[in-house]
Amino acid sequence: MTIIKKPDWYISENEVTDEALFNKRRNFLKLGAAALVSSSVIAEKLAAVENVKRESLKFQKTTFGKGLELNSYDQASTYNNFYEFSTSKSDPAKMAHTLKPNPWDVEILGEVENPMVISLEDIYNSYPLEERIYRFRCVEGWSMVVPWIGVTLSHILQKAKPTSKAKYVKFTTLVDPKQFPDQKAGKLFPNIPYPYVEGLRMDEAMNELTFMSVGMYGKMLPNQNGAPIRLVVPWKYGFKSIKSIVSIELVEEEPLNTWKMINDLEYGFYANVNPNVDHPRWSQAKERKLGSFFKTETLMFNGYEKEVGHMYKDMDLRRYI
Amino acid sequence: MKRSLLFFVLLLPLLYLLISVQSANDPIKYIFTCTGISSLIILILSLSLTPLKKIINLIKYRRMMGLFSFFYALLHFLNFYILDAQFDVTFVLKETLDKPFIYLGMIAFSILLFMAITSTRKLFAKFNKWHKLVYIVLILVVIHEAMAQKVLGNLEFMFIFMTIVLLGYRAFLFRVKWLKKKK
Repeated sequence: MTIIKKPDWYISENEVTDEALFNKRRNFLKLGAAALVSSSVIAEKLAAVENVKRESLKFQKTTFGKGLELNSYDQASTYNNFYEFSTSKSDPAKMAHTLKPNPWDVEILGEVENPMVISLEDIYNSYPLEERIYRFRCVEGWSMVVPWIGVTLSHILQKAKPTSKAKYVKFTTLVDPKQFPDQKAGKLFPNIPYPYVEGLRMDEAMNELTFMSVGMYGKMLPNQNGAPIRLVVPWKYGFKSIKSIVSIELVEEEPLNTWKMINDLEYGFYANVNPNVDHPRWSQAKERKLGSFFKTETLMFNGYEKEVGHMYKDMDLRRYI
Repeated sequence: MKRSLLFFVLLLPLLYLLISVQSANDPIKYIFTCTGISSLIILILSLSLTPLKKIINLIKYRRMMGLFSFFYALLHFLNFYILDAQFDVTFVLKETLDKPFIYLGMIAFSILLFMAITSTRKLFAKFNKWHKLVYIVLILVVIHEAMAQKVLGNLEFMFIFMTIVLLGYRAFLFRVKWLKKKK
């Protein structure tokens, strides 16, 4: 018989403080310190520190976007349209610490046989994450190239088993005034109506390029880029790539997306990148890649014509903007 | 002395632009914003000198401010022609004829150009009546600036408010004059 003599310092495994809890306490202490000095500058600095600590993800490299010249992480994470925080492009990076991306659930409902709620953990653990380098083109005329990490949307949708009535997919962003300052109740002029809604036709949603991203540049998404989970549809203008998604609903009718609701003369449901169809106020023929003083030609379907062009071959792309 | 101080202050936006543009994510857009906003704010300030006259008379600085407003509008136009359009004259003409956003700005710029040319002592004596067109410029530029946004924000509401105040003041004076004449 072996007798295990426990040393004085021994504690059993279940007494060990959970790492997450340990970090929580540290954050709490830091917040306390910040409150003492009572300066928003410090809170912002702490938030910046938190951002740097985003965890690395395990993922497979792919050949998507091989040969494209990447924009820097700094560019992609300091030039953001996220109206739930601000209409300024540089503000979201400073303000987004109020968003709490963990824990997070995404509900999949509507015309499906298997309605489900998937947690972030499910996505990290039960789907193979891969990295894809995509061009990203904003309707405003700027563009960037980003290495996203995530899963093909169709893999997730297949698990929910869409019924034959499912013709469109409707995505919705979180509504929480505590996390998104522009959603505060009683705000006289919110930047846009909430919740932010986007949609895809079923074939678009099932296309291999359509991607649910949970990370970029090797790590989890920074909050201002739509943490913890966002859509990336590389052949459409950026506003289709909805951020911080809480629900994915399969529906029969074309959902009314936010920008189309705000101004349907200028923004449509399809929003395919198209250098031949101008925005009423500015040309779409060229684009300004972030960091460059020179413009470059915009490509049809943002350079993904081979993969997606067939879905629109019978459509008048001047009408269906 | 005061004049050179004002000259230096009105150059500050340009100095700021030259330093900060190097780290801008979207330089062309950034130059548009900096030069455009500078031009509009200086224009509004120069037009505020007339109603302020009764409190403090700074009218002698109006010409310099107007010329600086034109100077930033010129940089704004050159940004469009050189960096945005890359010297493509056809593109510039097509956009100008095609898009209200662009032609409103172009009309305003043409009027400012005319005013800058006729701002010499000699020509001003002949053309000063035409300088009332500056109020059209103000309206056009405020609309143009609002159209550059996807949604209107505080800055746009402030510009609209200032325009209403400045035009309202003139309308009020005009009415007072007209009533006196009638008597």
